[in-house]
Amino acid sequence: MTGDDRWYEAAFVVGITNALNVVADGLAATLPPPAPASVDPEAAAVFADARAFYGLPAGDVPTPFAVLARDPGYLTDLWAAVKRAFEERRLTRRHKEALAFAVSLTTRSPFGTGFHLAQLRRLGVGERGLMEIVGVTQMFSSYTKIADTLQLTSDMADIAPVDTSGVPDAAMP
Amino acid sequence: MPTVRLRDASEYPEPARRLFELSRQWFAYDFKEPPAMSRVMAWDPQFGGPHGRAMKRAMAPGEFSRGEKEMVAAAVSGANACTY
Repeated sequence: MTGDDRWYEAAFVVGITNALNVVADGLAATLPPPAPASVDPEAAAVFADARAFYGLPAGDVPTPFAVLARDPGYLTDLWAAVKRAFEERRLTRRHKEALAFAVSLTTRSPFGTGFHLAQLRRLGVGERGLMEIVGVTQMFSSYTKIADTLQLTSDMADIAPVDTSGVPDAAMP
Repeated sequence: MPTVRLRDASEYPEPARRLFELSRQWFAYDFKEPPAMSRVMAWDPQFGGPHGRAMKRAMAPGEFSRGEKEMVAAAVSGANACTY
């Protein structure tokens, strides 16, 4: 798992997952999605693409995208970022879903935990694999709190190998 | 600054020091002193022992590789706002 490019991919998955969870868990109840009949065509196109990406049945729209349909332009840009973050590149799609599931579980997001659990299963992760991620999440939720309580400083920071992979796709579109 | 003074490896009794050898093997790295968390866990081997075994069981290659799991662990640590 050497190479900084993998870590950039992971960081983007973690960040955008948290962004989706914030809207789904914090906003959906007070700012419900617009009625399907009133959804703008631009937002409807995002819904269709998201359904294909996540393997969802017709009519099903993940909560954060449904809420954000109130601003189709914003939704379109956000979805492009989400899709880019979760596409299989240096990290596999199932690994990215595992990261998203672990972070959602850690941050106590009911939406994210359920959504990414379903995606892990859809991508073929079995009960053993699922419990592996639960175990890692739980163990490092323990280690981190022990470290914080004792205010430990990291002794791992200097042992990572130097990355020589360079910056891929440096040109901004 | 840590809340407690972390003892050097030499200050631990022999049974606890065996945990440090396991830690060195796990990280495959020769630290000058065992990692801080290893020394914390060695303070109470009856806690640190099973906690460490549970961690190793969780981190062992299975449906996900050790590398994939290390990255999940880093993400969980980040989500917990832990710099250690």
